[in-house]
Amino acid sequence: MARMKFLCDAERCIECNGCVTACKQENEVPWGVNRRRVVTLNDGVPGEKSISVACMHCSDAPCMAVCPVDVFYRTEEGVVLHDKDMCIGCGYCFYACPFGAPQFPQAGAFGMRGKMDKCTFCAGGPEKDNSKEEFAKYGSNRLAQGKLPACAEMCATKALLGGDGDVIADIFRDRALKRGKGAEVWGWSTAYGKPDKAQQPAPKGGKS
Amino acid sequence: MSQGQTKLSRRNFLLAVGAGGAASAAAIVAKTVPQVEPQPAVTGEGKKKTRGYHASEHIRNYYRTAKV
Repeated sequence: MARMKFLCDAERCIECNGCVTACKQENEVPWGVNRRRVVTLNDGVPGEKSISVACMHCSDAPCMAVCPVDVFYRTEEGVVLHDKDMCIGCGYCFYACPFGAPQFPQAGAFGMRGKMDKCTFCAGGPEKDNSKEEFAKYGSNRLAQGKLPACAEMCATKALLGGDGDVIADIFRDRALKRGKGAEVWGWSTAYGKPDKAQQPAPKGGKS
Repeated sequence: MSQGQTKLSRRNFLLAVGAGGAASAAAIVAKTVPQVEPQPAVTGEGKKKTRGYHASEHIRNYYRTAKV
């Protein structure tokens, strides 16, 4: 079974915000909620890097672990979704997420934030696929239509890759081999786990 | 003495009521148990069965263009 993943190639991202716009447009995301955003590291300094960030659909999702009402669930494709009907707006998921993915429509105290909203990998929610109710709460369900997330498909430089983890990892590996650098994928180890220490090569010489 | 007997009879009465209640509850449970069918445990994993991801022509085309 394919596992859905996002991967952003920082060597290619030109900070155009096309992914952000595509997400907003596709899912009719309200003002104040940003399911996806572009972050620039060392902005203005030569060699700055931009990364498109949204929910990474973590393999061991911290939001899932901390939610007191268990709104999160993982689909067969590894997409982390949530049930807005059950959300109490406590904001624990927001504090737990290392990517700042959970968003709330209002600013306020406990229970005043409204229902949490986040990237759904364009896979909707627990309602019937592509129903009006699903669209109103979660946005478009492109995965059920045989498509990939709008942000990844929209990306002009193909910096943001989305889809079957095996396939996009192969695509990225080829790129890294061709250009001879840039194999460090930002956020990958945080979202999908670090390799076992036993598998890592032993450090060569000298004291660390 | 009579007060002691009263206490004793009250205890007996409560014991009898308790035993009768437990017996009737056990009888009800015994009746209902065969009707209960085992339900699959509902967990956070795989809550939704969707058509989900399938490598359509559209998706294959996307992968092809991403290789550029």
